[in-house]
Amino acid sequence: MLINEALIDMALDADTKEEVVRGLATLAYKDGKINDCEKYIEAVLNREAEYSTAVGFGIAIPHGKTEAVTEPFLGFGKVKEVDWNALDTKPVDLVFIIGVPKKDSGSLHLKLLAKLSRKLMNETFRDELRKAETKKDIIAILETVF
Amino acid sequence: MKILGVTACPTGIAHTYMAAEAIEQAAKGKGYDVKVETRGSVGVENELTPQDIKEADAIILACDTSVPMERFNGKRVLSISVSQALKDSEGLIAKALKAPIYGSSNLTDEVADIKKQRAAGRTGFYKHLMNGVSFMIPFVVAGGIAIALSFLFGYNAFEQEGTLASYLMSIGGGAGAFGLMVPILAGYIAYSIADRPGLAPGMIGGAIAIQLNSGFLGGIIAGFLAGYIVVLIKKTIKLPKTLQGILPVLIIPVLGSLAVGLIMFYIIGGPVASINTALYSFLENLSGTNAVILGLIIGLMMAFDMGGPVNKAAYAFGTGTLVAGTGSMTMAAVMAAGMVPPLGLALATLLFRNKFSKAEREAGKAAVVLGLSFITEGAIPFAAADPIRVIPSIMVGSAVTGALSMLFRATLAVPHGGLFVLFAVENIFGYIIALAAGAIVTAFMVGALKKNVS
Repeated sequence: MLINEALIDMALDADTKEEVVRGLATLAYKDGKINDCEKYIEAVLNREAEYSTAVGFGIAIPHGKTEAVTEPFLGFGKVKEVDWNALDTKPVDLVFIIGVPKKDSGSLHLKLLAKLSRKLMNETFRDELRKAETKKDIIAILETVF
Repeated sequence: MKILGVTACPTGIAHTYMAAEAIEQAAKGKGYDVKVETRGSVGVENELTPQDIKEADAIILACDTSVPMERFNGKRVLSISVSQALKDSEGLIAKALKAPIYGSSNLTDEVADIKKQRAAGRTGFYKHLMNGVSFMIPFVVAGGIAIALSFLFGYNAFEQEGTLASYLMSIGGGAGAFGLMVPILAGYIAYSIADRPGLAPGMIGGAIAIQLNSGFLGGIIAGFLAGYIVVLIKKTIKLPKTLQGILPVLIIPVLGSLAVGLIMFYIIGGPVASINTALYSFLENLSGTNAVILGLIIGLMMAFDMGGPVNKAAYAFGTGTLVAGTGSMTMAAVMAAGMVPPLGLALATLLFRNKFSKAEREAGKAAVVLGLSFITEGAIPFAAADPIRVIPSIMVGSAVTGALSMLFRATLAVPHGGLFVLFAVENIFGYIIALAAGAIVTAFMVGALKKNVS
């Protein structure tokens, strides 16, 4: 499983997207998915600079592919309306963060992330995520994807 | 209505797939058929087939990286960024259906495209030939070099059994690489025409071409025969489903090989043998008249089929004129004319690089060694790939050499050629001029006749 309870924050206290990324990256670092927190954050923000990963519907999927990542992971955080230069200009309240090692051979996790990305375009799926109250709920919802 | 999409983004982790989903939902919302190719970090998934593209009414490219475009020629293509696809998925479909046609934007372009397609159809014959030739080249090079190495020990050193020279000859010569050359050529011509089932009848036909002494031209005939016979068998023989499995393993190999083999023996074999004897007596009648004309004709013959009946008649005639210990002008002309085709073609690959494929240019380097070793076969890959232009060029070049060799009264005292027997040549200076002249004539004629490789 790409995600576990240690990678989820149901009420992330952050006001900017940098803070959100830092908060979620720190969870991943504590869980041993990243060996260089700053390097990973830099990769994610560089990716953001190309164009915003906020895809609309209040969702952002920041992601980075760097050697700082030791194991592919998926993190999740609920935040209080952060501005993310979204395509539809709406603030973001759900954030998925993705990390992939640079020299990644397996592609299973990428397929899973592809599935998740598709699923996020689905309104019911988004509503379920918003209604979820516990980390367990989130994991249960995501299990329907994978 | 059928809508196609292609999505790709630089990291290929999330947005590629979200854009794909957006396009799919938008199209399904309008009740259209839809298929989206995703080019993400897992590679290309759900790839669009030529059939899909043919049926499509419009194609949406939501790509932030470059993707292959030629396949969309003549289709309505809407090219946007990934973020646009996510932002305005509803409006996408309508926009795509009004998008400009990709590629051929005006009539002249379209006409040019159609012409190009027709030309591609015409080159089917050359495509089959080239397939055979490309598989044959390594055999020619490996065999030729092995034989040349054997000659380093003396042009007849291989006759001593159990010596390294004899083993090298066995590896390279008719029992080894050169024996496989024509079957491989024929086999892979047939393979190109009829796919896998063509290979066995083609190679067997090629082996019979060797038995018939019909050279590589016989091999080309065998290859095309085998290919089209197998196609015919596949089309005409309809078996019940339960027996269909025996078609490729039993019916095609047996019937195909028998048909090719018997046609070769009964129809090709007779003329080949009579061409050989007729030309031999023709040369005998000619000897004693005009030496320069005899040299010219020997040159034409040596280069015509390189190992086939015409070449063999000239070679046999040349060795027949040898009287032990004395030099023969005829033999000298035969040898010189046999060295010109590979040398001339090697020169052509250097002078006219853009008229040859990369494989041919590489083969050209080996052809230098083979030519210097009197291994005329070094020219076969070039001749087989483009017989109509190459064979006349090497015939003219060899004819020039044969005639000049006679004119300069060069003689040769041994039944072989190449650098290793230059000691047995008299008037070596004139002889080398004759060789160089023929090679240059061949190179420039090939350069003038051949088209650029696209």
